Amino acid sequence: MSKLALSSLHQALQRSFASVDSSQKLWLGVLADCSPLMVSLGNLAEQAIALNNVQLSNTPLRDFPDLEDRLRFKLLQAIDTVLNRIHEKMSSLQSIRDTVTNQVSAVLRLYQQNAEDLDLHTVTQRSAVTPSVADMLEWLQDAERHYRQQFLKRKTLLHMLKADDLSLLEAAPKTWKSLESPSANEQITDTLCKVSFFMESR
Amino acid sequence: MTSTNRKCSALTGSSRKTKDNAADWFNLMLRWNRLNDEGFNVAANIVNSKRSVYSTEPPLVVTSAGVSDSAPLQDDCRTLQDVVDKMVTIVTKMERLTASQSGVRALDDFRTQGEGHLFHGWSLTLYVSEVATATLLVDFRQELRLKQTILQEVAHTVTSDLGLVLLSGWLHQPFITDRTRLTVEALLMETGLRPL
Amino acid sequence: MESLKLLPVHPSDRGSQRCRLGPGVMSALGLGLGSPVLVSLPGGSCLCTAWPRSDLAEGFLQADLKCVSPGLLSQNPAHLTLDLGQLTAVPAHRLKSVRITVVVQNVDFKKRASPRLVHELVKEMLVGVQLHKGFVVNLEDFDTELVYVVVENIYPEGTTAGLVTSRTGVDIAGIQTVRHYRSQLQDQHREPLGGLEEVSAALREMLQLPLLYPNTLRSLGLSCPRGVLLVGPPGVGKTLLVRRVVLEVGASLVVVKGPEVVGSRPGESEETLRSVFARARSAAEDGPCVFFLDELDSLCPRRSSSSAPENRVVAQLLTLMDGMNRSDRFLIVAATNRPDSLDPALRRPGRFDREVIIGPPTSQQRKEILSVLCERMPVCPSVDLSELAQRTAGYVGADLSALCREAALHALRERSKESGEQTVGMKHFEEALKVVCPSCLRGSLGRTELSPVPWERIGGLEEIKLKLIQSIEWPMRYPEAFVRLGLSRPRGVLLYGPPGCAKTTLVKAAASSSHCAFLSVSGADLYSPYVGDSEKTLAQLFRQARACAPSILFLDEIDSLIGSRSGCQTPNSVQARLLSVLLNEMDGVGLKTVERRGTEQVLQADGGEESRTQEQLDCQEVCNKDVMVVAATNRPDCIDSALLRPGRLDHIIYVPPPDQQARLAILKACTTSMPVAADVRLDELAANTERYSGADLENLCKEAALLALLDENMEATSIKHTDFLRSFTKMSPSLTAQQIQTYLSSPR
Repeated sequence: MSKLALSSLHQALQRSFASVDSSQKLWLGVLADCSPLMVSLGNLAEQAIALNNVQLSNTPLRDFPDLEDRLRFKLLQAIDTVLNRIHEKMSSLQSIRDTVTNQVSAVLRLYQQNAEDLDLHTVTQRSAVTPSVADMLEWLQDAERHYRQQFLKRKTLLHMLKADDLSLLEAAPKTWKSLESPSANEQITDTLCKVSFFMESR
Repeated sequence: MTSTNRKCSALTGSSRKTKDNAADWFNLMLRWNRLNDEGFNVAANIVNSKRSVYSTEPPLVVTSAGVSDSAPLQDDCRTLQDVVDKMVTIVTKMERLTASQSGVRALDDFRTQGEGHLFHGWSLTLYVSEVATATLLVDFRQELRLKQTILQEVAHTVTSDLGLVLLSGWLHQPFITDRTRLTVEALLMETGLRPL
Repeated sequence: MESLKLLPVHPSDRGSQRCRLGPGVMSALGLGLGSPVLVSLPGGSCLCTAWPRSDLAEGFLQADLKCVSPGLLSQNPAHLTLDLGQLTAVPAHRLKSVRITVVVQNVDFKKRASPRLVHELVKEMLVGVQLHKGFVVNLEDFDTELVYVVVENIYPEGTTAGLVTSRTGVDIAGIQTVRHYRSQLQDQHREPLGGLEEVSAALREMLQLPLLYPNTLRSLGLSCPRGVLLVGPPGVGKTLLVRRVVLEVGASLVVVKGPEVVGSRPGESEETLRSVFARARSAAEDGPCVFFLDELDSLCPRRSSSSAPENRVVAQLLTLMDGMNRSDRFLIVAATNRPDSLDPALRRPGRFDREVIIGPPTSQQRKEILSVLCERMPVCPSVDLSELAQRTAGYVGADLSALCREAALHALRERSKESGEQTVGMKHFEEALKVVCPSCLRGSLGRTELSPVPWERIGGLEEIKLKLIQSIEWPMRYPEAFVRLGLSRPRGVLLYGPPGCAKTTLVKAAASSSHCAFLSVSGADLYSPYVGDSEKTLAQLFRQARACAPSILFLDEIDSLIGSRSGCQTPNSVQARLLSVLLNEMDGVGLKTVERRGTEQVLQADGGEESRTQEQLDCQEVCNKDVMVVAATNRPDCIDSALLRPGRLDHIIYVPPPDQQARLAILKACTTSMPVAADVRLDELAANTERYSGADLENLCKEAALLALLDENMEATSIKHTDFLRSFTKMSPSLTAQQIQTYLSSPR
């Protein structure tokens, strides 16, 4: 009975790690797509700030009375466009995260359903090739938490960005970059390494 | 889309002319946009080099530094001048197109005395085209004036903020709006170059 | 029972809600991976999910405090040893829905973020977290504007804890800022405020009504008061009261001290005022807010035609107050101790609608204050607080706390000398009473350093002493008897008699035996070259005396101070004006509202010992509201007759020159500190010193002592009878028979 439960759990774990693996690649890819967008967002904000700082009537551009309004409109339009594209990226991030969340919660539920059959000794038993079930569940949870945190942080940042708050927009690329946590990414890579034997063990 | 790639080659006379004009407008616009991108890169170079001068050196040594830096700066300025010259040519062509369009309309008026219809309600089309080309011309002339001003100023900006404004003024083409683009699209549709 | 050592959380576990345990402990408690477990720690408890340590070691516990009871929010327990009983397995549930309050970083976010966004974020953050009813979830690890989530309620009904899944409904009851939330938490452990219950209840009501029942008020068409002016002498606890009430109501507080606002550059003060107002308004958007202007009088003095800067500040404040929206949930409270110097425009309805007057505490209130102050001090059980309260007439809250501090310091000093018991005894309080004087008397004109004079120091005059005791001490001691017989305390006492017959000393003795505040003035104190100044000083004196009633105001040599209107002087002299002030102060129409003491209480007839003593205290309060004027003169014929009618100086006591017995007593009293030879016969001296006044007798003794010194070259050890006789021959009585006759025949 316990053998059966363990092996089905192992299968589920393998599926989950496979999904984490692919998700991680996708995730990094989407993030890489985002950063040039953020940079252009910052640039646009910088231009808009410069426009606010310059008194156009004191410059040779005074011959164009409606230039300032037209230019501001153009800039805001451009900012809007970029923001929209970033939001699109966000939704793909969300779908990646949802996949991971679903996988992880499915595994946890499977464990909980079989919890009576799997005593603590079984779930904490490790071998050279196979990490213990407890460890793997923990790693999965950690990965899921990482994606959740990252997504939420970025989402809140984006929600605070409004076309009228230029200083926030200007700082956005930096803030966006600061949200990256290389250590957590490393940890996921690490985890994937640790389970590589286990993944191939079928 | 070029003027040779025509859907309805059987057209003749004023309708044909109108259609060609519309296609030319479109091509001129494409060329204008290409020039704009080209010019932007050059202008960005100029502003950036000016900026680096200002940020690294105190104003006192600007003259000496300006001498050493002036060679590439002047090259850039010359390139930008070329770009603007080409733009001037485009706008001249646009003026010619507008003039020919109003000529076509006048001829048509004279010929039909307000009775004949070519296709798609052509007399209307001709009228619309004339108005459209006229508005387009206004936009491009204005934009060209802006470009010329920017060309004059871009190498002499005092503050980096102004430099940035000039650059973004070049890039975003404030006088060429969505309306401009829509007008060209409408022209293409009206003359049947774009399928409805 | 096995014990577990509490270790700090591993960084990678932060925000995971895991509780790392050894596998042995987990199986002992019947916990699986990720099973919810409640860990109780000192100060609160936290809900975690059980997880084996990666090294599988036993005997340690690392808990991530993600979901904790509010008490644990501020502290981070570490280095504790827990036993297994402090861990409880919680049945695992999936929650149907939760009701929460969200705590955010700043008001700005609260304003900008749409409810949908907040809902979405919170839900995202809560999925996968085990919640416990009434606990707080810490969201700081997400690094967003959302800081905490307070779990108000969870469903299905009957469960106390459970897991949030993606299908759990999240219902946001409200959004608060961290500042607001923390202040509410603090609210739970506050110290009580003594003796200001009624005022604070009034203030609380004013704050709470518009906040709790806005709809009811609106339907009644009531507009809520927006401004409250607290008036009271310094140190009664105006500031403290506001802070406390604000905490109780759960409002946020913006404090501005008058002088802080005033700047040197023109326009600066108005600017500051506006910005502070804006701050208060933004805080009000967050929740109820109280804007507290301390020392309002310094900010808004009466507008005059000349001093422009103050005028502008006043105008600015008026504008801001009028510009306040009715819907603004904020209340302006201002405090001042000089209400008369405020600009009258501030005190009309619509601005400071209500004025709450906090007078100096009554003895009942003083007792409460003292009991609050002494709660934290190791006070000897023998200390009688009611006795202490009675003896501290005129002390305000700040004085009382200074008194307690001083007493504690005395105790400390004593303890450092001889390491004895640590309690603060009555003797320490007695010492402290000598040092700390009521602040309303500080800097007062008539404040005198009074060395206590016991009745025994005054020889003879038993009848006079009795009269004085009757009129001063009895009303204090037996108020209920006075009330029963409908007696009222005498308003004033006039002592008259020949000079040197111990009138002043008698008053001193009366004051020291009754433990009440004693103010003494003489003519020189009051006279001033400026017109109207003397009258003002006298009025001020009465005001101070009333502030620390019961008190005795002693006017020595009243004949020189205040003449008679019928006398030969010009009618408009200073003395005549002083007299009219005195007459007015002694029985004017009533107290000024500002000088009101405490609040009038309705006596409760509850029965029982407690209420009886209460009643007695209340009686005392009722009877001892007044200032007792004691005047002394040796020219009673010069006193204006208006002063002498009942209701003013109604007890007129003649202090006669001492008779033989009294003289003997005086001589005895004078010679107690002198080494008198055995042959001295004081009774003989007393018999021979007819018409000698008390002062004469004292002089006689001194003279004798000096003669003794003269004779024996500084080596005298005792004073012989011959010395007394010799000094007696040198002196003559200062009183004449004729003088005494005039006294006896004079007023009545």
